[in-house]
Amino acid sequence: MVETASRTPASQWRRNSAFYISVLPFFTIFLAFSVFPVVFSFYLGFSRWDGFGSPVFVGLQNYVRALHDPVFQKAVANTIYLWFWSTLLTISLALVLSVAINEYVAAGKTYFRMVFLVPLLVAPAIAAVVLRLFFSANGGLVNLLTGAVTGTPSYFDWLGSEAWIKPLVVLLVIWRWTGWYIIIFLAGLQSISRDIYEAARMDGVGRWAILSRITLPLLMPSIAFAVITATLGGLQMFDEPFVLTQGLGGTNNSATTVGMYLYATAFTQLNFGLGSAVSWYIFAAVVVLTLAYRTLMRRTNAGEGA
Amino acid sequence: MSKGILGRMSNREKRFNIGVTVALGLLSLFFLLPIYLTAVFATRTLNEVFQFPPPLWFGNNIVQNYANIANVFPPFRPILNSLAVALPKTAGLVLVSSLAGYGLSRYTRAPGHKTLLVVTFATLFFPPSLALIPFFLQMNAIGWLNTFWPLIVPAVASGFGVVWMYTYIGSTVPRELYEAAEMDGAGGIAAFFFVVVPIIRPGLAALAVWTLISTWNDFQLPLVVLGDGTKFTVPLALTTLSTTHYSDMPAVMLATLMGLVPVFVLFALLSRQFIAGLTSGSVK
Repeated sequence: MVETASRTPASQWRRNSAFYISVLPFFTIFLAFSVFPVVFSFYLGFSRWDGFGSPVFVGLQNYVRALHDPVFQKAVANTIYLWFWSTLLTISLALVLSVAINEYVAAGKTYFRMVFLVPLLVAPAIAAVVLRLFFSANGGLVNLLTGAVTGTPSYFDWLGSEAWIKPLVVLLVIWRWTGWYIIIFLAGLQSISRDIYEAARMDGVGRWAILSRITLPLLMPSIAFAVITATLGGLQMFDEPFVLTQGLGGTNNSATTVGMYLYATAFTQLNFGLGSAVSWYIFAAVVVLTLAYRTLMRRTNAGEGA
Repeated sequence: MSKGILGRMSNREKRFNIGVTVALGLLSLFFLLPIYLTAVFATRTLNEVFQFPPPLWFGNNIVQNYANIANVFPPFRPILNSLAVALPKTAGLVLVSSLAGYGLSRYTRAPGHKTLLVVTFATLFFPPSLALIPFFLQMNAIGWLNTFWPLIVPAVASGFGVVWMYTYIGSTVPRELYEAAEMDGAGGIAAFFFVVVPIIRPGLAALAVWTLISTWNDFQLPLVVLGDGTKFTVPLALTTLSTTHYSDMPAVMLATLMGLVPVFVLFALLSRQFIAGLTSGSVK
């Protein structure tokens, strides 16, 4: 009966004030350093400003200008390429590996659970430095290897190559992130009841059928989470291509992403209006893709329930 | 244990499982190779690393390589800078997140509770790049550019941290405990410090490890707000070193290795908490 006894106005007031005090630090800082900048960015997107003087209102000019800029168009195409291939390959590989670790590995489960996670500890910027060990033109291990095999020394500039730079960025993403998705999928796999498997096995259902009819459908929520996270990260990809191309975007902007375009317009050309407009394009893409994916998931789930 | 599993299987299944294990073992070595070679090359001379086949075991040139980095910058400076950012940020983030998580989890009937909860969840879908430019201008306006403050103070408010702590407290702290604490005279914020914190310590550790490691790896924000090379955190310092002194590859590799050691030690000590951090977001 503590409940009713403490429902006096005074204690009610005490409870409410304890609530506001507890959330105050978070919301104050969030308001000051996240909400305020975003509102300001909305205003900047419609302005021309180089950081000096005061911003000039220019309407939709920045949004239109970005669309007509061939570098922006290329950055959009590159971002879609990098997002698509890195998401597809990383999640597929992680799916195969996590099912293998969970179901088929004969020994060393703990080792396999941990080992693929180690690259995630390596900052993307540092990982790019290490990747150059393999792919630099002069003395890179891949060139040393091909030189030794063919007998003629090779000085192929992998990172300067328009054809190879994007696959190398994807390789870097696969290397770093596969372990993260393995952990997500293993958590999902372990939440599937063993009884279902036992029942299926008793009924003589084969391994492959168990995988495609039971494991994968039940793992769908984890896969959805993985795809959404990979999409949020992929659309804003910056660190990996930036460091691999030494901040320049590669030959003919072959690895410039939208995130790098935003950085370059704002912080090297000091065109804060254009940069802000680009950041709202990124936001729009994130919202549209997240909503689209959610609708898709809801529809598949509903279809299965029927 | 694994023998027990194999024991119940047909020969064909056994052979398949052993094959899978060997394949995964080889693949895992491939994943570790870049880090292993970084460590090996850090101990070799310039001539040795450009030979074919490359050295696969440690050499004895590490002291010379260290001296070579020391000619460019004090080798421990980026590590100290990274610590100066990561430690206070982590302490603040853990405190602010758990306090807000506690409030949101306990006082579900306070006016405005639902709105604040929805807003907190919505922040997870906020792309950081949206705030990057105005945040830079804001830091410029208040004179924080080229200091560690922009990397610490604003970063303390993390929607991810609050959502995590909200879920964690809701599932680990029984509500009756609040009433018992109230009878003992510990209400509101006092109950948080004396009743809730002791219970949620594992969750706090998990959030702390996760924050430390991700802060250690941050690149874009330090790149934007830090201009002066003496303030560079590990990823920035290494990127700069590798673009300007790449010809001295063993020295670059040694600096890289030094920057990796703190996170590797942390991971070795607290990997369970780290993994708890990774999965917490997916279980909803």
